[in-house]
Amino acid sequence: MKKKTKSIQPNRTDTAVGMNIVNQAEKPKIRLENINYVYGKNTPFEVHALDGVSLDIHRGLLTGIIGHTGSGKSTLVRLLNGLDRAEQGRVLLDGQDIWENPKEIGKIRFRVGLVMQYPEYQLFEETVWADIAFGPRNMGLMDDEVEARVREAAAFVGLDLALMEKSPFDLSGGQKRRVAIAGIMAMRPEVLVLDEPAAGLDPRGRHTIFQGIRDYNRKTGCTVIIVSHSMEDMAQYCDHVVVMAHARVFMAGTRDEVFARADELEAVGLDIPQVTKLCVLLHQAGLPIPVGLYTQETVENALLALFQEGKGGVRHE
Amino acid sequence: MDQTMPFIHVEDLSYAYVGEDEKPIPVLDHISLDIREGEYVAILGHNGSGKSTFAKMLNLVVEDYTYAEGKIYIDGMDIMSPDMTDDDVLNLRRAVGMVFQNPDNQLVATIVEEDVAFGPENIGIPHPELRERVDRALAAVGMTEYAHHEPHRLSGGQKQRVAIAGIIAMMPRCMIFDESTAMLDPVGRREVVETMEQLNREQGITVLSITHYMDEAARADRVIVLSDGKVVLDGKPEEVFSRGDILHRVGLELPQCTAVSQYLKARGIPLDGVLNMPEQCADAIARAWKNGQN
Amino acid sequence: MNNIALGQYYPAKSVMHRLDPRIKVIGAIAYIVAAFLCRNVTAFAFLLLSCFVLILISRIPLRIVLKSVRALVFIMLFTAVLNVFWVTDATVEPLFAWRFIRIYERGIYQAVFILVRIVAMVIGTSLFLTYTTSPIALTDAIERLLKPLAKFHVPIHTFAMMLTIALRFIPTIVEETDKIMAAQKARGADFTTGSLTKRAKALIPVIVPLFASAFRRADELATAMECRCYHGGEGRTKLRVLRLGGRDVVALLLMGFFIAAIVLLNVFGSRYAWLFTM
Repeated sequence: MKKKTKSIQPNRTDTAVGMNIVNQAEKPKIRLENINYVYGKNTPFEVHALDGVSLDIHRGLLTGIIGHTGSGKSTLVRLLNGLDRAEQGRVLLDGQDIWENPKEIGKIRFRVGLVMQYPEYQLFEETVWADIAFGPRNMGLMDDEVEARVREAAAFVGLDLALMEKSPFDLSGGQKRRVAIAGIMAMRPEVLVLDEPAAGLDPRGRHTIFQGIRDYNRKTGCTVIIVSHSMEDMAQYCDHVVVMAHARVFMAGTRDEVFARADELEAVGLDIPQVTKLCVLLHQAGLPIPVGLYTQETVENALLALFQEGKGGVRHE
Repeated sequence: MDQTMPFIHVEDLSYAYVGEDEKPIPVLDHISLDIREGEYVAILGHNGSGKSTFAKMLNLVVEDYTYAEGKIYIDGMDIMSPDMTDDDVLNLRRAVGMVFQNPDNQLVATIVEEDVAFGPENIGIPHPELRERVDRALAAVGMTEYAHHEPHRLSGGQKQRVAIAGIIAMMPRCMIFDESTAMLDPVGRREVVETMEQLNREQGITVLSITHYMDEAARADRVIVLSDGKVVLDGKPEEVFSRGDILHRVGLELPQCTAVSQYLKARGIPLDGVLNMPEQCADAIARAWKNGQN
Repeated sequence: MNNIALGQYYPAKSVMHRLDPRIKVIGAIAYIVAAFLCRNVTAFAFLLLSCFVLILISRIPLRIVLKSVRALVFIMLFTAVLNVFWVTDATVEPLFAWRFIRIYERGIYQAVFILVRIVAMVIGTSLFLTYTTSPIALTDAIERLLKPLAKFHVPIHTFAMMLTIALRFIPTIVEETDKIMAAQKARGADFTTGSLTKRAKALIPVIVPLFASAFRRADELATAMECRCYHGGEGRTKLRVLRLGGRDVVALLLMGFFIAAIVLLNVFGSRYAWLFTM
């Protein structure tokens, strides 16, 4: 394990350079500076969850954070809105340390909204409406403002208004999940963080959730961070991808930059999308095909082009 | 029952649960199917397709039988019959074991090996056989070194393997996995799926895997697709996956490689073989391309 | 997040860890009896000495053992101080007298004795029951020791099963509580400020989901247990075999000798035996 960590270190620096080129002009929405986090310090169960993590999250984009269980990604999420505090390093929101005034950390939580894993288990109100309104009410908003926000959030996640007066406990699993996500969206946070928003859902459920999140990102311009271990979802929906491994940032950059290094992702044991894997295998077999493709459509087009060229060649002979 | 009857024989099975206003809400709609001993069958369907209820019926653990109709024979035993005694039910559950979705909610004991022993203890397996069964079951799922650990300190995949060991220790002839991988990360999923395959291939246990992951279904011998309580497709994975239109209509997605190869085939590129996994697919494409080059 | 310690079980390799849990339950009871039997300085000194011997045998670090004592320091000091001021002895002059306060030699002795007694009982029982015995072994031992009661239709097995499941799910529920609280904090819930009623109200968003989830878990667990052929305690076998070994017999004998020694020391002990004749 230790060896692996060492061997991937150089990658951190060169991706960081790549990232700067992409977004030199703009200041990051969130910047993490040299974060260290240890669980259960001085007990037999001590775990170094984050080890010198520095990272920029770009304004207005949809960033995916990916990694294995235990790679530190879930810990990272809890630091972003001040649920936990790192013993070392800073979390900067718009350039300002979120812990500058610890008493005001509650305000940070309204600015950085967090949807935790399996959020449907946090629903508690008598009606769906009241549950979505819980966050906005805690913000001290006026009734009509709360109402507008609940409506808007419900629309983003595709919740039928007919469900609003039902008890959240009577809904299906997928609907509950959407109610929980709407509950955070209704707070209109500047940054929306979602930890495994589609875990356990069937393909249609996953698609509805991700589509809703992407719409929200595109229409409100709000920065969105999705934590997931599904590479296929990341490839389909995210602008930027951050790969965590062994408590460190292993890679970060645009989708294209990250998937261009599919072989390295596999080396740390991440499941790359099936089509990406296909390209890597074909490339190894000597076919002239790029390795960095990650959506079904691009791969289909690339392969078709390959065969048509081949045919052309045959015809010329 | 006669000797030729398959291990599981379902005849015209319908089920509905009682809704809010006492009205029945249909879940299963006249299902008939057979499962032979030793088969590895994946049952696919979107959430709410009735696949979990179907699995629970096979083990008689649905809550209410008011609206249950039809027949289920397991190993020749008519399990829906009112003559089933408590002992018959125990025998059924010894023959057909179930692993559920949430790994946390099916482990009973605070120590791994004691949890594995729970089932055999219940059916009164004496020493030293009890000890042997527990050790064998833990070895079968590769969890021997965790025998004395506390379940809550294990990863999701490990917990699920302990749950599987708990069923294996009862030495069932058939195991039903009711979305047992849905809450796991990719590593945990792989661990569990590999364990399933191993049980089927090496010990000849009939495996029924209820799932909505297409790549898991691709590894089975046979795939049954349920939608709205009906069987809409039933056949070998490649047969079922060739019906992308139907799958899409019932809210399922083809594995990416299957879709890509179908796309290429539809445009006249000759690919042959089973093309659900990247390795197989890459082989076929590379072959076709090289043939085209020569 | 996974480091919730269940009980205070301290894994180590010692004779005490290996003793049959039933013997350890009996040992704990014997130790309490012994502590109450002590009547004079020699007996108490012997008790205190036995405490150190037990710590050495159990191989539990002293600082860990002292932790359990520290929790009770206030109660112990309070009782001791009370004794110092309360005990009167008309037959001798007080050691110290100021206004209405009189302190007698006997009071000081009594305070020290009570202190030793409580310390010994706390250390003795925690060594026997919590530090060297896992909660599950303890449950098992209690179930077996109480088994004769099943003849009188006391549902011993059911209670033991409940206890086991509770032990199994405590860490899970603690973790879940933590998660729900974090989730509600992320929605602006505030658990730390405001009046008592306000804070109690703030707990509703935690308690409702927690109960909902506990019921769901209970339901799923019940189904899973049924599928694993659970049908009560009847006809059940047990993986854990408890067989009394040589060391258990020796331990039992030692306990007998220990109590006998305390009684003998009481009788032939020292001149302070009269302190407790009142």
